[in-house]
Amino acid sequence: MAADYAIHAENLAMVYGRGATRVEALKGVELAVRPGDLWAIMGPSGSGKTTLLTILGLVTTPTGGSLRIDGENIYDGKQPDLARLRREKIGFIFQSPNLIPFLSVRQNVLLPLHLAGVRGQPAEARVRELLGYLDIADRADLHPNQLSGGEQQRVAIARALANNPKIILADEPTASLDTDRALNVMRLLRQVTNEHHATVLVVTHDHRLITEVDRVVEVLDGRIQ
Amino acid sequence: MNLALRDISYHRFKFFSSTLGVSLLIMVVIAIGGIIRGVILDSATIINKTGADLWVVQAYGAHPQGGTLGPFVETSRLPQQVYHAIEAIPGVAQASPLATAWEHVEVMPHPTRLMKFMYINALLNTASMVKPGWMAMPKLQRFIVIGYQRGKIGGPPVIVAGRGIEASHYEIVADVKTGFQLGQHMRLGNFDYTVVGLTKNMVGFTADPVIYTTLVDAQNIIFQQDPNLVRSQRTSITKPFTELAATQPRLAAPLAATAAATAASTLSINAIAVKLVPGVSAQQVAQRITRWQHLKVYTAPQAVNLQLMGSNRLILFQLALFRDILVLIAGIVIGLITYTFTLDKLHDIAMLKLLGAPSGVVYRMILQEALFMGIVGTLVGSALELLIEPYFPRRVVATYGDIAQMLAAMVIVVVLASVLAVRRAMHVDPRSVLGGG
Ligand SMILES: Nc1ncnc2c1ncn2[C@@H]1O[C@H](COP(=O)(O)OP(=O)(O)OP(=O)(O)O)[C@@H](O)[C@H]1O
Ligand SMILES: [Mg+2]
Repeated sequence: MAADYAIHAENLAMVYGRGATRVEALKGVELAVRPGDLWAIMGPSGSGKTTLLTILGLVTTPTGGSLRIDGENIYDGKQPDLARLRREKIGFIFQSPNLIPFLSVRQNVLLPLHLAGVRGQPAEARVRELLGYLDIADRADLHPNQLSGGEQQRVAIARALANNPKIILADEPTASLDTDRALNVMRLLRQVTNEHHATVLVVTHDHRLITEVDRVVEVLDGRIQ
Repeated sequence: MNLALRDISYHRFKFFSSTLGVSLLIMVVIAIGGIIRGVILDSATIINKTGADLWVVQAYGAHPQGGTLGPFVETSRLPQQVYHAIEAIPGVAQASPLATAWEHVEVMPHPTRLMKFMYINALLNTASMVKPGWMAMPKLQRFIVIGYQRGKIGGPPVIVAGRGIEASHYEIVADVKTGFQLGQHMRLGNFDYTVVGLTKNMVGFTADPVIYTTLVDAQNIIFQQDPNLVRSQRTSITKPFTELAATQPRLAAPLAATAAATAASTLSINAIAVKLVPGVSAQQVAQRITRWQHLKVYTAPQAVNLQLMGSNRLILFQLALFRDILVLIAGIVIGLITYTFTLDKLHDIAMLKLLGAPSGVVYRMILQEALFMGIVGTLVGSALELLIEPYFPRRVVATYGDIAQMLAAMVIVVVLASVLAVRRAMHVDPRSVLGGG
């Protein structure tokens, strides 16, 4: 049954530009990921990994195909409120932490809760819990530029987890970390899928990290192998 | 959690230095408003504080329509005894004869430090405009003499030091801006006068301060009759009466009285300030004075309007225009600052959008930061203006009303100024966070 999948993409296509600059970034991608799964997406540069992630993350509208997220048919004709779906269902992690520089660590993690309308005591409690979980509670009142790269990445992960998203999309989250820290991040993502039953897709080039994942998907020239 | 406030508090230096720049601009805007109000107040104060309903001045010959713009804008001279006739008109409560003129005394200049600075600054500014000597440090104090009859309107409205005029001669009450001290003696015309009291805020439309004397003293100072001329005039004026009295001894007494009155009636005044009985039509009394006395009559508002004529009014127009232009510049400055601050934040804005922030959250942040600059800038600028106001040589008066008006104007200007930045933010693609590595 379709509703059993956290992500269910059928025949996804993405064409950038037109004429001479036309690029077919994705060609008929089929993808069905169950809740609690941790998948790795691999493939050479320019193969369409980031494009796939932005479509699954509801940032890019595909030029063809259908997409169900958490059972909800996104492009079924009605104008979807993508911003609302993003803040309620999806968490993003990137290669660079992309924290908001003028917010403290605590406020950065609070931000998604704030945007989703969670305020006051419940929001504060959730932030404390996440900062403890990621072992950065003692950094709560510092600003991002006062943290190390690894600490910043953990804050970014805490932010991605804040709203208990059904889906976490990570684009090379470990690329700027050493092997130990990178493994730690992967274990953490594994833990999230186990404990929170979230679905995690990780784009990575690092074969050492795929020991933790349920499945590896190869993207080649806009197709899934 | 307010994103604008967080951004402002994190980038304190950036925001406060920009806001300070806006403040200084607003300070100048409020100050120009204060200068405009100062010129208007200076032009109106004598008329207002005298409290007259009508001002009666000289007409040319028997043509009151072509009357003078007296007593302050053009020379007006009329016989003193006319005021008795005006006082006899029904509805007139009081007719106060006034003698007014510009006079000056020589003074040692002792300018304040600000004044010295402004003087040197003015010299530098006008270096290419004037010839040597045109802008020499003034060694003369010019003022307006107003002579009035004690107990009637037209005298000093308040005494801030010393007392009012009590003796019939040789006492003056001066505006503090003259720089005269209590007890100071000075020669005006043929006599020495003593400053017995000080008043304040009494200046003419040229900002020259007022000194008050009795009417008789003012007539002495202003008309400075040569005593010999007066004596010879008196004999020639009374001659027909004395000759007639010689042939009509029974009429000697009334003729002597008429002779004295006629001689006295050669005394001149410059204007008559008329106070009406409450409820009486100023228009009707004015018409009656015009028709029967052949004099020119102005209502108080007309008299104020005269002070603001010509160049005085034009400079207000110019100042008001430059005030608008400065507000426009403040808007452009805030718009550009907000735009560059938004450019600095494009990546954060993309991230906010990616996190699913509704557009309103982003636009609100931009608008609030611009409003912060506009409102804090206006408040700080206004406070600075109020602080520096008392140090200016001419009256500068900004009011809370001006500041409220400025706040309202700034809110509109700021909203318009943020349009550019908001449009830029609108075009930020959340995808730019991804793939950027
Ligand atoms: N906004 C865009 N406009 C036009 N073409 C694009 C755009 N984004 C991506 N592409 C093209 O789509 C193709 C896939 O790009 P994508 O970023 O998905 O690759 P990737 O697999 O993430 O590569 P990398 O490993 O280098 O990050 C590339 O050929 C790229 O040039
Ligand atoms: Mg990529």
